[in-house]
Amino acid sequence: MEEFEQELRQAFERRPAPPSLKRKLMDRRADQRGTQRRRGHIQLWQRLAASLILVALVSGAAEWVRHDREERRQGEAARQQVLTALRVTGRALDHMNTQLAAHDRTEQR
Amino acid sequence: MKCRILAFVLGAAALAAPARTQNSPLPLPPPVEKELAARASNVTEVTLGKNMLGFAARFMNGKDKDEAATRQLIEGLDGIYVRDYTFDKDGQYSIEEIDKLRQYFETSEWSPLVHERERKGAESTDVMVKLVNGESHGMFILTVEPRELTIVLILGPIHMDELGKLKGIGGLGALGSVEKGAKNKDK
Repeated sequence: MEEFEQELRQAFERRPAPPSLKRKLMDRRADQRGTQRRRGHIQLWQRLAASLILVALVSGAAEWVRHDREERRQGEAARQQVLTALRVTGRALDHMNTQLAAHDRTEQR
Repeated sequence: MKCRILAFVLGAAALAAPARTQNSPLPLPPPVEKELAARASNVTEVTLGKNMLGFAARFMNGKDKDEAATRQLIEGLDGIYVRDYTFDKDGQYSIEEIDKLRQYFETSEWSPLVHERERKGAESTDVMVKLVNGESHGMFILTVEPRELTIVLILGPIHMDELGKLKGIGGLGALGSVEKGAKNKDK
């Protein structure tokens, strides 16, 4: 029993902390802060990069849609011009046929 | 040194000029056209180069029979130049102006196919084709009516029978009978 009390006393005995402990703790804390700061910076940059990529994707998609719409509009205009040109051509040839038919009728008489 | 650079620039420009001309075979509008357009009550002007025709062809519906045929037709063309002037009253143009128009487009490469004049002289039709190795590589139509003037210039390989298939587009079936009409005229 005495032996046990002796051990207990020794265990509870106040011992001064080693002189390097404070420095080690401070260093560790500084390391942790540095790591946290770095991690914070990395996260910030990651978020910023992700935001930039998202903005680029959204604006790229919007630009693509705008370009596609503009191209369709121009294509439709070009298509209409072709059809107009062919209609005018058809009308001119119809006129020519009418003239030729009238010419033939006159000659037959 | 400066002279060499200048010579090089001039040489490059001289080489580039014919290339640019080849890329755009469509003629510039004759000066008389401006005057006619100013007097007309309704003007239709269409100028489409090879690139524009190719671009328009992409937007032709392949399922529609007429549009598919049109697409096939225009993809091979070098250009389309159309002018249609409608006037409010008779006598808004002179015979000299018509002759100027005809002469502007008429070159040695073109062979007359139809040359029709009404006796009174108010109406006329000219159809010319550009023949290359016996195949038509262009068509020029000039129709003159008392209140309407139409110029059509189509450049590139044209197959009349294919054109005749385009019945649904503004009476383009008439195009198929151009040769027939010309034969009748020859008789």
